[in-house]
Amino acid sequence: MVDQKTLAYINLYAVLGTLENLCELDPAAGALLTNRKPISIGFAIKGGPSATLTFKNGKCRMEQGVAECDIKLPFASCEKFNGLLDGTVTPIPSKGFQHIKFLLKEFTPLTDLLAKYMRPDPADLEDEDFFVISTSLMFYTISVAIAQIANNDKVGIFTANYIVDGDIEFAIEGGPAATLRAKNGRILTLKCPAKNPRASMKFSSMELARDLFDGKVNAVASIGAGKISMKGMVSMLDNLNRLLDRVALYLA
Amino acid sequence: MSFKINDYTKSRALFERAEKVIPSGVYGHLGPAEGCFIPVEAYPLFAEKAQGSYFWDVDGNKFIDYMCGYGPNVLGYNDKDVNAAAFEQSKIADCTTSPSPKAVELAELLVDTVASADWAFFAKNGGDTTTLAVMTARSATGRKKILFASGFYHGVAPWTQKLGYPGVLEEEVANNLYVPWNDFDAFEKLVAEHDGEIAAYIATPYMHGNFLDNQLPADGYWQKVRKLCTEKGIILIIDDVRCGFRLDLAGSDHFYGFEADLICFCKALANGWSVSALCGKEFLKSAVSGITYTGSYWLSAVPFAAAIACINKMKKLKTPELFRKNALMLTDGLRAAASNNGFNLVVSGEPALFYLRTVDEAENLMLHQEWVAECVKRGVFFTNPHNHFINAALTTDDIKQTIEIAEEAYKVLRKNHPEL
Repeated sequence: MVDQKTLAYINLYAVLGTLENLCELDPAAGALLTNRKPISIGFAIKGGPSATLTFKNGKCRMEQGVAECDIKLPFASCEKFNGLLDGTVTPIPSKGFQHIKFLLKEFTPLTDLLAKYMRPDPADLEDEDFFVISTSLMFYTISVAIAQIANNDKVGIFTANYIVDGDIEFAIEGGPAATLRAKNGRILTLKCPAKNPRASMKFSSMELARDLFDGKVNAVASIGAGKISMKGMVSMLDNLNRLLDRVALYLA
Repeated sequence: MSFKINDYTKSRALFERAEKVIPSGVYGHLGPAEGCFIPVEAYPLFAEKAQGSYFWDVDGNKFIDYMCGYGPNVLGYNDKDVNAAAFEQSKIADCTTSPSPKAVELAELLVDTVASADWAFFAKNGGDTTTLAVMTARSATGRKKILFASGFYHGVAPWTQKLGYPGVLEEEVANNLYVPWNDFDAFEKLVAEHDGEIAAYIATPYMHGNFLDNQLPADGYWQKVRKLCTEKGIILIIDDVRCGFRLDLAGSDHFYGFEADLICFCKALANGWSVSALCGKEFLKSAVSGITYTGSYWLSAVPFAAAIACINKMKKLKTPELFRKNALMLTDGLRAAASNNGFNLVVSGEPALFYLRTVDEAENLMLHQEWVAECVKRGVFFTNPHNHFINAALTTDDIKQTIEIAEEAYKVLRKNHPEL
């Protein structure tokens, strides 16, 4: 059962938030944003999350709230915002009409590029560079989605309550890494390696991570095969796996 | 001396074969994921043979085994007396249309041995008995809710799992209530909040959960719980699957000075032969009689014969006292091995089921996992997330060798971590 509010948090912070990484990883994304003044888009969702994406010098950054955005996109409900992501809702800005060209000519191609990586054509994955970028972006999306589920989804909240305080290292060998910071039953995702983790879960390769994300292999089986290494407070990882199960439900 | 480092080439090869035809290769608590084989390269994956306190893996590596098959090995693998009884019975009859008289003999022996038992109902695994206990409590009280001590483990049936676990429906755990272990005030408060709704409180005799130091019951905890359960008509279920017969042959409730209404036994009951038993008070016999609950092999005679021999031998050897003495000798030596190398090993729980943790500032168990791995590589099978077990075949020489290996493993840690 998918909860629309949780899905809105995932769509905003985990999916649109991955634009940060897209701009870092794919020069084509950065190129869409060069030679232009800094600009920001705020997403204000009634009964849900709000955040602002700022584009500056070919980079993108997401921050909480919509207080200082150039373009403001209001949504009457979480369902309406989720409709933006699945293409059934067209937003109308409440602020920044003069920047509508940016929305159409730059932001939309950027999100189309993100969608290309997030829902890739199997043929595109044959290209090594595409494969690495696509898998890395999926990793960041999933890392942030874990926190949204832990903090908002009914089952996720129950599961997160069993996670003791501390940092979890969540990483791919030779690839991206994230810190999942657990405190008082809530999780915050930091898109950087953990310095002193209390528990660690590492995938041995990008290929394995991809197969796990695509549901082709199982994490428990991969641990036995030595393809996933875990150490530390394994109870944290056990509950992390429960959250990962929920991520698959929301991002399917 | 320096101990040989194990090679697991054949284990790995067999695991690769297993992965193709068995989900996860080795699933469950004996497997590398749930068993927390950290790192997996340090551990054997398949056993070839076992005797007494040892098992040998498929590569021929010998281990002094402190997991004892996660508990069933209580007298020593291949105990000659228990096996003789089982083999003798197998020549007569085992899985027959009418059950063997051995069922009655074993039930009588349990009623004579276990302080709170007026009857015994047999099954195969510990989880069979915890499920039956909960069904009995619900049937007897007409109530839905079951109270658990946080950090519990009562098997793998859906009602024992948690919301969010794969394959478990929200409805299957909707009547579960959770209370912190050893906190009688919280227990009393929850009982008041759900007055007349709680069928049973199910708990282990003490908290022997994973990843945390094990906690014995606070003074008077069980007596206060017993009194309140009686006043409120709540069935008190003791899950003695893990501790049963290791602390007290009359039951772990007897050990802690109270009486359970229902008590679940399995692991140490028959030294590895497959049988479990739910024992209970007279007033619940009618309720349990009315429950539809059976299995194809639950009245097999061979495990009954083994259980009778096992219980009688445990009585003869006074195993609880033996386990306590040997476990204290072992854990005192392990603590000294840690201390000699500048580490602090915390030993918790009852000695017969000791839980180990090497202290580190990060409180992340990684140092302890590293030490356990070094021990396993040298032939001492410890585990890092779970309590341990010993058996009656463990010798003083085994304990001495274990301590020597533990010391060498701590020396490796010292070398690997000059920063500590």
